[in-house]
Amino acid sequence: MILLSRVAERLYWMSRYLERAEGMARVTNAYTHLIMDLPKGTEVEWGMLINIMGAKPTFESMGYNYTEQGTLKFIIASLDNASSISACIKAARENMRTTRDVLPHEIWETINELHLYCKETASQSISRRNRYEFLNQITARCQMLNGLVMTTLCRDHCYRFIKLGHLLERADINSRVLDVALASIASRQIENPAFDSLIWASLTQALGAMGTYRRAVGPMIDATSAINYLYKEPSSPRSILFCINGIRNDLKALKQHQKALDQADKIYQSIDQFDAQEMTAKQFHSFSDASQKAVSELNNCIYQIWFSAQHR
Amino acid sequence: MAAELAIRDMGVSFTVYTSERNIDRDWPFDIIPRAISAVDWAQATQGLQQRSRALNRFIDDVYNNKKIFKDGIIPFDVVRDCPNYKPQCEGFSPRYGAWAHVCGTDLVRHQDGKFYVLEDNLRVPSGVSYMLENREVTKRVLPELFENYSIIPVDDYPTRLYETLAALSPRSVKRPCIVVLTPGIFNSAYFEHAFLARSMGVELVEGDDLFVDTDNQVFMRTVDGPERVDVIYRRIDEDFLDPEVFRPDSKIGVPGIMRAWRAQNVAIANAPGSGVADDKVIYSYVPDMIRYYLQEEPLINSVPTYLCMNADDRQYVLENIEKLVVKPANESGGYGLLVGPHGTVREHQKFRKLIEENPRNYIAQPTLQLSTAPTYINGEVKPRHLDLRPFILHGSDIWVTPGGLTRVALTEGSLVVNSSQGGGSKDTWIVETGQ
Repeated sequence: MILLSRVAERLYWMSRYLERAEGMARVTNAYTHLIMDLPKGTEVEWGMLINIMGAKPTFESMGYNYTEQGTLKFIIASLDNASSISACIKAARENMRTTRDVLPHEIWETINELHLYCKETASQSISRRNRYEFLNQITARCQMLNGLVMTTLCRDHCYRFIKLGHLLERADINSRVLDVALASIASRQIENPAFDSLIWASLTQALGAMGTYRRAVGPMIDATSAINYLYKEPSSPRSILFCINGIRNDLKALKQHQKALDQADKIYQSIDQFDAQEMTAKQFHSFSDASQKAVSELNNCIYQIWFSAQHR
Repeated sequence: MAAELAIRDMGVSFTVYTSERNIDRDWPFDIIPRAISAVDWAQATQGLQQRSRALNRFIDDVYNNKKIFKDGIIPFDVVRDCPNYKPQCEGFSPRYGAWAHVCGTDLVRHQDGKFYVLEDNLRVPSGVSYMLENREVTKRVLPELFENYSIIPVDDYPTRLYETLAALSPRSVKRPCIVVLTPGIFNSAYFEHAFLARSMGVELVEGDDLFVDTDNQVFMRTVDGPERVDVIYRRIDEDFLDPEVFRPDSKIGVPGIMRAWRAQNVAIANAPGSGVADDKVIYSYVPDMIRYYLQEEPLINSVPTYLCMNADDRQYVLENIEKLVVKPANESGGYGLLVGPHGTVREHQKFRKLIEENPRNYIAQPTLQLSTAPTYINGEVKPRHLDLRPFILHGSDIWVTPGGLTRVALTEGSLVVNSSQGGGSKDTWIVETGQ
């Protein structure tokens, strides 16, 4: 089956945007819950969510405030922010509008409904009361799309590029979340370390790995085991190692994959050798920074090999 | 209404250009089918095939021997002044002498019961997907009717189109690589481009997806590397086709594609330059072309046409403008025309001025009494004017769709049926009457 480079690129980005919307919905939801559990005065700031998105400059230059309302508006409904949930859903749909012919009809319908839902409800979903329902809907509908992809698509190049986008985005989000969270905790010097486990539980929840973590490791949760689990548990689809491994497998089925595969192998090895046990917060920060850069380099490889007009 | 729901379900939409932005809207569909007897249609089909033969002979002549001008049948000035005449195509003759591989010819039925050709759309005619969708909707909404009548099916169009295109392939391979070239999602007919590509099982490409190498071969960029392209069904205007040859500012074209075409490494349908016969001044000479090239009498009527570039005709048009339909020679889609009997005095005046300023650019025709058909309007059945656009495929042989796209003017008394001007459409039935 022929797959045009342009179509492949749009599928890849459709999938990245959907995963980003789902990831932000999960993180925001977990964070809202966490805030309610923490005693007054010990809250981590809302700005943390902006840092996860890497959107601090846009946020500040657009004149948003670091209040709950301001931050949530920016994350959920703002179209100024290319990574807001609304903007991601919109971009995912735009990418699909011109590639819908290679995908089953139900996928287009579902994404279209998701877009309409988001357009109609996003701006009323900033308040705590409506937020929960909205974020759950976004997560559930994105999951539905993942399910449709898994159960209706032929295992051809279309499927591979969708999967590449999906896995690469998740690896990227997870490493951002862990990086920002750890930096924030390290800088706060909290008086009551009992809340640490609450924060790590919430983080694991945010990344969708809480249930499997408990079964694999146990109910006690601390920074080291949570970070290790989310980075390198090979059996959990929420771990970065799992994502990179999936990418490696999909790359192998594509032509001219060597450069991209080398890059993925490099990331895989560095994560495989990683152990949070032996690290200071500072060391961890530089490790996660490096792995984010490596993931972004992998994205560039994929672009160069399969999407750019230069490839012939 | 059930039909409207079915249309929304099937996702049929088309885009209307407005000053603000592109909007998708449902194409108004009238559920009452328009019927034509198979006997009448067989005659029209012969007329259309004959016409297509003559038109393609003419285009080939324009860019090669120019016999028809040398023999004084048509003045060459008419062609030279036509913006759709492309000197870049001089000296080339595509396979089978076929230039306009897909032609949408607009027909009307006059009060004498005969079909008249209003115009031939030889550039990038659209609407065929609506013909197919309309039939689907009718089958869904009125399945019982198909039990009692013998209605000729239309759904093999994509197969016929595929065969026509495949026969043009410069390489003799089992499955030539065919693509549909679209300007992109913002084009009013994007839906149709995608529809045709999907129905033929070929790729829908944009200009950026293609490139021409130094050996003048066309490739598309795929994730498996370059893939050689044999036939391009282009749905972009030729002015934007190749920035090396036509408009240099075109962002939607493919640089070098004309080189590849002239080197016969790729077939382009419709061939660049076909539009020369799409001109409304040239239209008036089609009966002469049929006699000249085929030594036959026209089997289908043209509408008598006054050419404003001729002094006598111009005089007549200026004096009788309120009785005539005045059309710009090179517009399509019903833009910029005047229906004299429906125009105001001010509009008549405006068109007189336009004609005097640029007589070559205008033609006029008597206002025909277009036939009407029962149409469902706000809960009542009322007569509305309509036309018919059959599609003619011209490759190694010539094939005409059974029926075509019937367009209906939904406004009472209106004669303008174009979708861009608020017209609607109907399913068209060619019915075997069993005689």
